[in-house]
Amino acid sequence: MLSTVLEQVVNGIVTGSVYAIVAVGMTMIFGVLRAINFAHGEYYMLGTFGAWFAVDYLGLSYEASIVVGILATIVVAYVVGQLVMRRMVGAPAESGVLATLGIALILQNAVIFVFGGGYKFFSGGYIEPISILGFSLAQQRILILVVCLVVFVGLELMVTYSRLGMAMRAVSQNVECCEVVGIDVPQVVLRTFILGAALAALSGVLTAPVNVSVYGGMGELITFKTLPIIIMGGLGNVRGTFFAAMILGIAESLVATYVGLQFRDTVGFATLILVLMWRPYGLFSTQARF
Amino acid sequence: MSLTETVQQARRRDLRIPLAAVLVVIALAAPYIGSRYVTHSLIIALIFMLPAHGLNLLVGYTGLLSLAQAAFFGIGAYTAGLLAVTYGTPFYVNLIAAGVVSGAIALPLGIPALRLRSTSFVMCTLGFVIIGQAISKNWVSLTRGDMGLSGIPKPYFELGPLSFSVSGTTNFYYLALAIGALATFAAWAIVRSPAGRNMVAIRENETLAESLGVPTWHYKLIVFMLSAVFAGIGGCLYAYYLTVVSPLTFQMYYSTTMLIIVLGGGAGMISGTVFGSLLFVGLTEALRITPELRMIAYGFCLLVLVFWFKKGFAPLINRFWNVIGGVK
Amino acid sequence: MTHIFSRRMLCITGAVLSVAGAAPFATMAQAADTIKLGIVAPMSGPNARYGAFSMHGAELAVKDINAAGGVNGMKIELFNADSQGTPVEGVSATRRLIDQDGVDFVIGDVSSSVTLAMQPVAEDAQVLLLNAASSNPKITYQAGVGGFKWTYRNYPTDENRALIVAKYAAEQRGFTKFAVLSVDSDYGRSAITFTKKYLPDFKGQILSEDYYKEGEVDFRSVLAKIRDNGAQAIIYYGLADTTPILARQMIELGMAGKVTLIGNGEFNTEKTIKAAPSALEGAVEAAAWLPQFDSPASKAFVEKFTTSYKEAPNNHAYVHWDTVNLLAAAIKQAGSADKTKVRDALSKIKYKSPVGEVTFDDHNQARLPMILLQIEKGVPSIKGAYTADIQYPAK
Repeated sequence: MLSTVLEQVVNGIVTGSVYAIVAVGMTMIFGVLRAINFAHGEYYMLGTFGAWFAVDYLGLSYEASIVVGILATIVVAYVVGQLVMRRMVGAPAESGVLATLGIALILQNAVIFVFGGGYKFFSGGYIEPISILGFSLAQQRILILVVCLVVFVGLELMVTYSRLGMAMRAVSQNVECCEVVGIDVPQVVLRTFILGAALAALSGVLTAPVNVSVYGGMGELITFKTLPIIIMGGLGNVRGTFFAAMILGIAESLVATYVGLQFRDTVGFATLILVLMWRPYGLFSTQARF
Repeated sequence: MSLTETVQQARRRDLRIPLAAVLVVIALAAPYIGSRYVTHSLIIALIFMLPAHGLNLLVGYTGLLSLAQAAFFGIGAYTAGLLAVTYGTPFYVNLIAAGVVSGAIALPLGIPALRLRSTSFVMCTLGFVIIGQAISKNWVSLTRGDMGLSGIPKPYFELGPLSFSVSGTTNFYYLALAIGALATFAAWAIVRSPAGRNMVAIRENETLAESLGVPTWHYKLIVFMLSAVFAGIGGCLYAYYLTVVSPLTFQMYYSTTMLIIVLGGGAGMISGTVFGSLLFVGLTEALRITPELRMIAYGFCLLVLVFWFKKGFAPLINRFWNVIGGVK
Repeated sequence: MTHIFSRRMLCITGAVLSVAGAAPFATMAQAADTIKLGIVAPMSGPNARYGAFSMHGAELAVKDINAAGGVNGMKIELFNADSQGTPVEGVSATRRLIDQDGVDFVIGDVSSSVTLAMQPVAEDAQVLLLNAASSNPKITYQAGVGGFKWTYRNYPTDENRALIVAKYAAEQRGFTKFAVLSVDSDYGRSAITFTKKYLPDFKGQILSEDYYKEGEVDFRSVLAKIRDNGAQAIIYYGLADTTPILARQMIELGMAGKVTLIGNGEFNTEKTIKAAPSALEGAVEAAAWLPQFDSPASKAFVEKFTTSYKEAPNNHAYVHWDTVNLLAAAIKQAGSADKTKVRDALSKIKYKSPVGEVTFDDHNQARLPMILLQIEKGVPSIKGAYTADIQYPAK
């Protein structure tokens, strides 16, 4: 009994790591732009497609395909960032919703148009199971877990100490003041956006070997999983996002085991609504910011 | 500005009433002008116009961005569908029931949701759609789950000794047109009333409105319920027109469709929503010429809307009316 | 500045409006001696992964028929329309095909709720609707003598499938303890409803019941539960793209070779088996068709499809390809492309499909053989083909 629960918790943490890497990008973008990025899952999809293309068409190894996937996404994100995201500074919330929905439609269906709508199988990665402390896991999942920790430690340091990190925090606090003191706000937005998209792509290429199936519409589901996480984590809060993602991952695993898999996708939003009733500003923010 | 110009301006005729008459005639004659496909497209526009009116009250007049419309749309569709299939009640009973049930469910949902700030509120309303879908899928004994409700009969009326069904696309169009016209009038009446002005006050500055004695909390809750009533009625029409209600009715795609109609037409303007629903259906149907590129083109249209028509088409409509009305 | 800006706005609005207004009225050039066939399938959004194969299958059949001189000397003209997998869009697409493109025959959709919404439209316009991929039993419960005269389905319902899988698993493999893990759609749910109807006859028992949402990628939790509850087989009526994910996670949890997958979800394709060979060994599937099926027509289709589209066909591609051929056969038999005559021909047809003879019952449901296969040493081995009549619920 206890070992089952423990195993589900471990499963939840692994799932949570995948969500966390995607969600942290989304929450940082929200921080500087005050816009919910409904297209964020599409960068996850782009990363996966880039890696799939590298493995299947270019015959590269999985390690190289990770780089290809992320670089391809960065290029797309740069274009989108230059043309769209930069111009959204100070735009009302509904403009953000519509613009990012439009981008999601364009990216998703452009991939379907170019690569065909059918699903593809991703081959590559470290899918052999190994046994740790009595739990059987694919090696790839361990990799995801480690990468997740590295990413978050790195982001904490970056946000606290680097120039970009400080600029990001400044922009998320007050755009006008940043302009006054000479911070190039659109540039910070662009860089944050590209960083966020690259993280989503990283999550995509890391999960591709265990999720196998690759298709144009896969990003939407990830977007829906990460939306409640970023709210629960307190919008723009990197550390909060990490814990919220873990909580959601574990909650999903337990619900899938003890209630039924069919309720799994509801867990995120149900938890969100309950959490918001109790703490309207999210779990990890002490005051209302957005 | 010279004197002659002013005189000319004064002589311009007010063409608003003749134009409105022409539009009414076009609306009434539409099934006989266009093909059945055009009539069908207009019905779809009218069906989506109803929840969009509700959303406009919320987004355009009260300033609350909500994605919950699809949830109430779905509740309305299920209510009407279940009543029609199980009890065979007449259309108008189901129409009213759909609105009432949606509104009644909106009340307990609105109380916690409206306490939230902007972004959290948006996500919370999106959550209603997702949870609505899960309920409709899993409460099999009520909703028949994924099998959905099918074979919803034609809209059936029972007025005293007279009973008849509305069959055929053309007749359904007139039914939808009548309901759409009534709903538009209702939305207009709400907005024109003192309550409407209080709603705008909340949108412009909630704290100020509160300090002026507007019971903002009650207003927000009532508007949220009203928007659900509009959506429920739209859902009822949807159920009758498509004859099928399935958990797919609860999807974000419909919520965003309604949002696009409101913002595209111009939030905070009744005629904007009417125009927006026509524009939306016209655009998506026109894009069917390239099935493969359709949604990509639609995505670009959204970007154009956001960056070039920040206020939707409302300013254009206003300008147009002013020109027609002889005001420069 | 504002003046220029509003002029630009006016120009753009004008352009958008004229496109929006003009397009519905732009009818295609009429060619009298072609057979117009419309395909409704999801071509954008998440469900495009099914629509793409459907389109290609139908396209290939049309190309071949036209290359061979058409049907009764008439070429088939194919129109496609996007349903996005939602009922509203599906109905709009059907309306457009019927009224703008003037098609007499429609094939569609993949998703059952879209097909259910299309049925009254086809009936109203008296256009022949052939369904090739929806498995909701209601579609033909309410067709033929059940109501809609213009709907035909050339796809098996889940009842026959559920019965033969349960029977084989119990009698040949001796399974008694089952866990249900199916897709949360009308296909997955109704297959399980029928399985539950028949399982007691074979002393089978269901230990756990779970449904996964389309696009789900994480089955570790539910698999761990199944591993611990002692089920011998997982009854899986799922989607083709989920099968390899599930199978790989079974390997991950050390369930490969201990718990067997039975049901349907393209266990038999080379790609799926390659993704997780040890988990799929011994898996039992009831399929309408499989690429390895030993018939010249089927083999030729697989080869042509693979050379044309650079990927192997799946079940959706086959059923649409086959349905176009079925329609051509009906037109040939009717001796004209008149839709009423074709419909009558369809009711009486004895069509030689690559998997066997196809006839329609009084609910316009095709009697199709269901092929039972088992994966042995990494290749599917066919255990037989079964046809059964459907028991319709009393009205």
